[in-house]
Amino acid sequence: MAAVTAPTLPGVAGEEPTRLHVSDYLRWSVDHKIIGVQYMATALFFFIFGGALAMLIRWELLTPAIDLMADGQAYNSLFSIHGTVMIFLWIIPMIAGLGNYLVPLMLGAKDMAFPWLNAFAFWLIPPAGMLMILGYFVGQTEAGWTSYPPLSTLFSGDGQTLWALSLHLLGISSILGSINFIVTIRNMRPAGMGYFQMPLFVWAVLATSIIVVMATPFLAGALTLLILDRVAGTAFFNPAQGGDVLLWQNVFWFYSHPAVYIMVLPAFGVISELLAVHSRKPVFGYRAIALSSMAIALVGFTVWAHHMFTSLTPELRIPFMITSMIIAVPTGIKVFSWLGTIWGGKIHFTSAMLFALSFLSMFVIGGISGVMLGSVPWDIHVHDTYFVVSHLHFVLFGGSVLAIYGGIYHWFPKITGRMLDERLGKIHFWITYPAFFLTFFPMHLAGMLGMPRRVAQYAPEFQTLNVIISIAAFVLGISTFILLYNIVWSLYHGEKASANPWRALTLEWATSSPPPSTNFIGDPVPFPNPYGYGTEAAYNYVESQNKKYGTVNPADYLPAEKSTAVTSE
Amino acid sequence: MSSSHPPSPRSTPNMTPSLALIIVGVVVMIAGGLGFTLFIPMILPPQASTQAQQVDQLFTFLLFFGGVIFILVEGVILVSVIRFRAQPGDLADGPPVSGNTTLELVWTAIPAVLVTVLAILSYTVWINTRAIPANEMSVGATAARFAWTFNYEVGQETLPTTLNFGDLKPEIQADLTDEDGVVHFNNPKLYTWVGQPVVMEMQSQDVNHAFWIPAMRVKQDVLPGRTTEIRFTPTMAGNYRIVCAELCGSGHGAMAGEVGRDGELLGAWLIVFENEEDYLANFFDPAAATVLVPPDDPALLGRQILASGAYPCATCHTLDDLGWTGNIGPNMNGIGDRAAARAQTTGDADGAAYLEHSLRHPGDYLVPGFGNLMPQFNPDPGQPNYMPQSDLDAIVAYLLTQTANPSN
Repeated sequence: MAAVTAPTLPGVAGEEPTRLHVSDYLRWSVDHKIIGVQYMATALFFFIFGGALAMLIRWELLTPAIDLMADGQAYNSLFSIHGTVMIFLWIIPMIAGLGNYLVPLMLGAKDMAFPWLNAFAFWLIPPAGMLMILGYFVGQTEAGWTSYPPLSTLFSGDGQTLWALSLHLLGISSILGSINFIVTIRNMRPAGMGYFQMPLFVWAVLATSIIVVMATPFLAGALTLLILDRVAGTAFFNPAQGGDVLLWQNVFWFYSHPAVYIMVLPAFGVISELLAVHSRKPVFGYRAIALSSMAIALVGFTVWAHHMFTSLTPELRIPFMITSMIIAVPTGIKVFSWLGTIWGGKIHFTSAMLFALSFLSMFVIGGISGVMLGSVPWDIHVHDTYFVVSHLHFVLFGGSVLAIYGGIYHWFPKITGRMLDERLGKIHFWITYPAFFLTFFPMHLAGMLGMPRRVAQYAPEFQTLNVIISIAAFVLGISTFILLYNIVWSLYHGEKASANPWRALTLEWATSSPPPSTNFIGDPVPFPNPYGYGTEAAYNYVESQNKKYGTVNPADYLPAEKSTAVTSE
Repeated sequence: MSSSHPPSPRSTPNMTPSLALIIVGVVVMIAGGLGFTLFIPMILPPQASTQAQQVDQLFTFLLFFGGVIFILVEGVILVSVIRFRAQPGDLADGPPVSGNTTLELVWTAIPAVLVTVLAILSYTVWINTRAIPANEMSVGATAARFAWTFNYEVGQETLPTTLNFGDLKPEIQADLTDEDGVVHFNNPKLYTWVGQPVVMEMQSQDVNHAFWIPAMRVKQDVLPGRTTEIRFTPTMAGNYRIVCAELCGSGHGAMAGEVGRDGELLGAWLIVFENEEDYLANFFDPAAATVLVPPDDPALLGRQILASGAYPCATCHTLDDLGWTGNIGPNMNGIGDRAAARAQTTGDADGAAYLEHSLRHPGDYLVPGFGNLMPQFNPDPGQPNYMPQSDLDAIVAYLLTQTANPSN
């Protein structure tokens, strides 16, 4: 082990300065940290793009008639691209970015197992995104992100073909990235870190990667058949020539239901990290959380047809109801374990923690409506209505996006060497949280009362609800810019971050912020329990880390005004 | 700086909740769960079928248990953030508690039992709502972009005893109906009466659609290439919207019942009469009369055919004479003039030939600004969208009368 005792902050000692220029991020690089940032920056761009489409959707829905959009087709392409972009170009790449940045650091490794493959997986994303958007110029895709044939085959423009090609590229990217994660996690754990000493985020990435590798080839298969139907005159989905429209639905959902877990399991991982660190208490039921991720990954492959309760052969619906109900149990275990984690802790209301708590309080609504949707007779009433739109946004925004927000506040110091502004963070939170609830909760009511999803015109009695939803959505849209402003401002003016501003025990904090290009000086020694807070050993470990890497003010991060109070004590 | 803080917590908060807190919590959970169910009549459409009664009952259970879990989770979060917030400057850790096997088993078992109960309840309701009642009435539904057409078939032997055509007094003749002795008629509205079970036999002519009547709580996808069915028994007279719930293209939102400017019912509606007599007098007799007693004037016949909604034109086209207000396809006002003019550019013999071609092969002549969305109306009874030549001739004759200035 290298005998480095002097502070090794970038530019201070030990190694060449690692301050990177913006242009370093625009080039091919095999450094997992640069690739991670490339993923995240690209994803944020598409988040803004997809969000702008959402604003147009809500603008159109202010009135019961079609007025903003030229016709229904233009509206259909709005939500089709919104859905696809948010899923495949925002949440999935964002999580891949977080994973890329954090997994090697959390394992004390110098890089991913296959650095070149890692870069290749990322560079598939920009052309895929361009293909998707180019669809606007060759005839819009208007079949929704689910693209059911024959609307997507016999009745859609060429944009649909580009859509499918784009998803093909994104699928390849996902598979390559996940193989890389699995190999890295399997082989590059440091001495002293068995599977059950891994941070829960790493567990979540492992479970997610297994799903991706098993499920995504089915999406590729379905897309290939769709493209052949569109351009080569085959009839896999054309009943007039012996095809079957349900074939697509089965194969598509065999991928796309597990894809929900691809998006939400890493968010679970983020939440497990944040809740433990910011309430200064070990994760309650570590093994239960780790293993329930695996349980969700497995059971998640048996529930796909609950997306087809109104189209599937009636006799087959009950078995899928049973599996869908079963999957609520491991999810419930996680929620209760998180509650057990914060109970009795020392909760610090950092922006990261606020978003983690908001995840906990909002995701549970998505879980409850999920069980309701699992019940066949109730699902039949609300299937394909705003109830489902509400449910999926509680899971994907209330789940994945709020967790990603929390993750950004938590790991920004590590990635950039500067803290995000906490005051702006709190403003961001207190606008986002109520606006999120007011945007998506009333959608339940619209759906139950009879408003189908994916319509540009609706019955006039739903207008009041829709106006409330739209106004809240505009506020939610604006709140995103507070985060973006905070990111840009803090990059240049943010408080300098110490190596371990949150006093966490996982290995990504056992190096300077940002880490040197080799990640660690010498081989980092993991603390035996990544969440062993509240023990003398943990305290001493954090202390020794601080001594090793130098403590940049504030050593124990508190919001600016409070840290003054501490100093004066 | 940080070394001045002790490694052990300054004050270990008491983690065991007091009995009072637990009792208050349980009471709030149950009261809150029950409280949520009080909102059910406000957040659901009218409960107008036997299926709706059972589904709503199931929803009451789902909402109650969902409400209990919701209050439990939010309550624990709320109590935690109040009780366990770190005091300013307190940099100590919480207690090193990392699990409790009993507690974990309990919170695995309770959700497992709960979802089992909900699954059994759901299964029971599922079986009951799908039971096949005696004396059910079968109605066909044809979904085509972007309208519903309901196909009624009535055996000829039932006609004489029930018909009341007012002053028309037609002579029922076998040759007015199919060779199998069945009278067919189509209508954009679905008619039945209270207590009459209905089974829908549904087909799609193009893409996937979904047949949904919110007030009946029934929904079923309508898929090309297969016939799907759904059952419901109305329990309350009234007019209820029929809605397409599966994305079918640009006019998806228009493929539902709408209320016109003067309160008239446009598009797809379920009309439930009080009893069978009302049904026969108000729907069945006029509908059968249109089929059995066609007027001699072809233009009048064409108008009657279109007004009956036998073909789904009104969703997409505007025509003032018939009160059509659709805007997905071209406006039909003054089509009589334009047809003649267009015939010269397309090479059709005259306006009538142009219109006939436009109905049989809509994709051939596209009006600028409109996509190729209209279904093709075929002359062959074996094909989808069958339009007999006699109907076509009558419709063309009527459309030719629709000139900009009706007097010329």
